[in-house]
Amino acid sequence: MKNRDLSFWLFLAPVLVAIFIVVIYPLLTGLYYSFTNWDGLRISKFVGFDNYIKLFHDKEFGDAFWFTIKFSIAAIIVINIIGLGLALIVTQHIKSSSFLRTVFFMPNLIGGLILGFIWQFIFTKAFASIGESMGIEGLQGWLSTTETGFWGLVILTSWQMAGYVMIIYIAYLQSVPEELIEAAQIDGANRLQRFRNITVPMIAPAFTVSLFLTLSNSFKMYDQNLSLTNGGPFNSTQMVAMDIVKTAFTENSMAYAQSKAMIFFVTVAAISLLQVYYNKKKEVEL
Amino acid sequence: MKLKKVSGIASAVLASSLFLAGCSSSDKASGDQITLDVFQFKVEFKNQFEELAKAYEEENPDVKIKISTVGGGNDYKQSLITKFTSKEEPAIFNVGGPTDVEQFGDRLTDLSDTKAAKAALDGTLDGVTIDGKVLGLPFNQEGYGFIYNKRIFKEAGINAEELTSYEALKEAVEKLDAKKKDLKIKAVFAFPVKEKWVTGNHLSNVFLASEFDGNVMTAYESPTVAFTKGDQLKQMIDLQNEFSVQPTTSLDYSQQVEELFSLEQVAIIQQGNWVYNTVNDMDPELAEKNIGIIPIPVDGEAKMPVGVPNYWAVNNKVDDEVAKEAKKFLDWMYTSDTGKEAVLKDFKFIPAYEGYDSSKIADPLSKEIYEYSADGKTIGWTFQGSPVGWNEDQFGASVQAYVLGEMTWDELIQKNIKAWEDIRSGN
Repeated sequence: MKNRDLSFWLFLAPVLVAIFIVVIYPLLTGLYYSFTNWDGLRISKFVGFDNYIKLFHDKEFGDAFWFTIKFSIAAIIVINIIGLGLALIVTQHIKSSSFLRTVFFMPNLIGGLILGFIWQFIFTKAFASIGESMGIEGLQGWLSTTETGFWGLVILTSWQMAGYVMIIYIAYLQSVPEELIEAAQIDGANRLQRFRNITVPMIAPAFTVSLFLTLSNSFKMYDQNLSLTNGGPFNSTQMVAMDIVKTAFTENSMAYAQSKAMIFFVTVAAISLLQVYYNKKKEVEL
Repeated sequence: MKLKKVSGIASAVLASSLFLAGCSSSDKASGDQITLDVFQFKVEFKNQFEELAKAYEEENPDVKIKISTVGGGNDYKQSLITKFTSKEEPAIFNVGGPTDVEQFGDRLTDLSDTKAAKAALDGTLDGVTIDGKVLGLPFNQEGYGFIYNKRIFKEAGINAEELTSYEALKEAVEKLDAKKKDLKIKAVFAFPVKEKWVTGNHLSNVFLASEFDGNVMTAYESPTVAFTKGDQLKQMIDLQNEFSVQPTTSLDYSQQVEELFSLEQVAIIQQGNWVYNTVNDMDPELAEKNIGIIPIPVDGEAKMPVGVPNYWAVNNKVDDEVAKEAKKFLDWMYTSDTGKEAVLKDFKFIPAYEGYDSSKIADPLSKEIYEYSADGKTIGWTFQGSPVGWNEDQFGASVQAYVLGEMTWDELIQKNIKAWEDIRSGN
């Protein structure tokens, strides 16, 4: 790389400085804090790996982690199926497709906190009155148990994220060459075969991107969790991000929360990178 | 090209100088004026408080009061810590009780020489008194109990004053429940188990306070909790849960107060005097004439849990003159005639100090609570002395599990005793 002279670094400098200030430096200080007993104001001693050891015996953190994993799996599957489905619908030659794209994307423009409150109303009020008038037991008492809280969160996130990943899928679906599909059609492949053997491999990069986005988003989710269930009932729908915030700001154990956050960061980064690496290998190039 | 480079550097310099200018300290007031930075959390009375500060500025032209308000429990403390760590020290800030006092201990000024501290009612300084030093001045008093709808009680033929024991209360509740249709109510109670503070802070306190002699400092130092009145606590949870609008685990504060109680769909809610403004917004007539409050009965006695939710503290890291002025301002707010008037009429506080005319207290709930308080028929708020996070995340969350049938009462007691001991001993 010959062009990496001084001007190269000079042009890069503002970004590098910004990244250093807002990402690298806090990460390093965070790592340092996680080895202390910092309470937000004072550090009185260096505790080594105590915080990390304590963390492995912390049942609440374990529960939150397990819940987050379950939630992420469900959310990733649902979001991507719905997103791909919507993308397939709006790339058909139907009249209202651009209108539909707008409509499907719309939920993504609403902030997570507000969405949470809106859906809280839908689950506790609308669901209940529909259930009451139709006599469906299953629609009543939503968000009051762990299961309904879980599915409430999945529904909310899918509703919000599906439109977003739909856009990604649309972009790749539209770049699938017409002639490949036509050729397959002439060879006698039916709709399903064409989809499975041509469309899916051609849009593999879309899967990589969408899975990455949905994975990291659902792992890191906080605002929807806060406004929809606030961890209730009995903290059973509390996700890791929320557990960390609570440890830090209601229990004032900043250092301990920091060590949880480090573990969380490493996990999310590892899973996301693994996923990208694995999916990249499956992508085909024309 | 060269020109661009120069202008680039110039703009970079300009930008960074702006940035640095933003960081420069603005503490130093111009001339002889003293600036009092007040950092407080009570959003509800922000405007009224600012008005009062203006009145003080007029009386004392050399003092300038700068008020910043950051609302909500957690956010406030977070921002306060941020302020401290960024070396921006407010002169006056709020502390919530023993936990905060310990955390911010090296910043708190002794206020025992203030007039306000001497006028404070018995017990209101418990939470902030350490080694004879008074480290905070109470905002106000608050109380909670069963708030009931007088009209519904009257129609059902129930006299609220007689409900001083669990048995009497239960009888009345059953009577109300039987007449649900005629009274046009959905249920007797609206019991918001979702709000962990309602069960974790308030309800539990009624039955735990006696273990600590009603003193928050005793609770703060106690290594364990015994639940000696656990059976009564269970009875009260069961009663409210059984006769409440269901499902209680998703019933929140706004449904409880704004919807169910204000629209007269339930007869009783367990809340405090702070709901008055909300009810008043929804239905002024109901708020003015038809609501009353009775204590939650314990041991067949009717004692109102009254406490101080927050304190004013003066920062000792500011200049001595500023600290002196801060004390003067707080004294003026609670002991001068202008201040007293504002406290009662504008802030609508239940005063925590002597020398107030109780007939001027604005709302009926506060008035009743002040009367219990004046008669000494009160229970202290010891929940402010529980281990950090115990009330809500441990007890409140366990109650949710209990009413869902995921945990038995015995398990709940065992788990919460252990949690208390664990947090206290630092595990």
